[in-house]
Amino acid sequence: MDNDYFSIDAILAENQKIQCTFKVDIPDMGHLGGGSERDIKSLAKVPIPIWLAYIVLYSDWADFSIPTPFGARVRNALKAESRSVKLSGLVGAGGLWYGFGKMIMDILSDEQANEISEVLTKTFRGRLTEVVDQAQHFAALGPSGGGSSGDTSLSFREGLDSTERELFALAQASTKRTKRWYEGNNRTRR
Amino acid sequence: MALPVSIRASVTPLELELIASETLVDIVPLISMEKTAFISGAYGPLRPPVKSRIPLWMATNLKLKKKCHIVPPDWLNIEFLQERLTHETSYPAFSDLPFRFAEIAKVILDVASDDLQNPDKIRSLLKDLREARQAKSREGLQKLDHSELSLPNLCSMEINEIRPFFIQAMSVLTKLVREPTAGP
Repeated sequence: MDNDYFSIDAILAENQKIQCTFKVDIPDMGHLGGGSERDIKSLAKVPIPIWLAYIVLYSDWADFSIPTPFGARVRNALKAESRSVKLSGLVGAGGLWYGFGKMIMDILSDEQANEISEVLTKTFRGRLTEVVDQAQHFAALGPSGGGSSGDTSLSFREGLDSTERELFALAQASTKRTKRWYEGNNRTRR
Repeated sequence: MALPVSIRASVTPLELELIASETLVDIVPLISMEKTAFISGAYGPLRPPVKSRIPLWMATNLKLKKKCHIVPPDWLNIEFLQERLTHETSYPAFSDLPFRFAEIAKVILDVASDDLQNPDKIRSLLKDLREARQAKSREGLQKLDHSELSLPNLCSMEINEIRPFFIQAMSVLTKLVREPTAGP
């Protein structure tokens, strides 16, 4: 989720749609809205992906509102308990909630961007400990475990967004390796 | 890169063990050996029963062929480890342990447990130490910042375990936090 042209994370994060209200008429672009109209009339609300919206907003052809994954409802839920929100539900499976948030942050003005940045960092920090705990728990059980973990941890894992999944995989792999070394080859050396 | 993703950011424990095996340990040789040149230096001569100092890799080798007895280093005994364990559980900071204690301890426990006084107790003390420190590093995670994180007295195996995770988490945080000065 950099602004790197070639970053796959950035490309995937930019795939999310945001609602834009066009200020001018745009002939022949009605298919962007998914409807059957030929033109976009001014003051029409059209959902377009961010990679497109960036230019449209900079050239001042449209305004946009904060999309649902960052709306007030989600923010309140996160403030209450960041670990119980399913981030993957907000942006679709394999989605990048944090990446999406960063894109929005880049477009917005300063105070709003600071707010979103606050939300993102607090959520990330809050969920991070849980990610580590679960990763270590799963590293210990090995290939046979998994069935006995409670419902909350299972639904937490399903709700992880892609960034968190990568972190989970990293933590799990390194813990597994270290554990295997600690318990391995007690007598059978060389 | 041709390396699998999981080892790109860290070193494998076996490699750390190899590096730790350069440490010098005391042994009581059972055979004679002349001063021999190795890549890392010349060691010997070995004249039983005089103690001499050789690298751990050589000591392990000789031990497996039953040609020496390894003298455990100063810190590898019950009193020292017990004291460190109580320190670990009573203070929030990490206690001071030799940097590669985990690897050295494991190697010696594996090949030379008969040279130690109470190997099972030592094993369990080491395990408790490891768990206490892991719990503390998890708390340190709360203070994770995008710019720096200082966890003094952490040992090489522990650093290796948390490194890939921590640097990835910190880089994510860097991207999320960078707002206050930047702007469109």
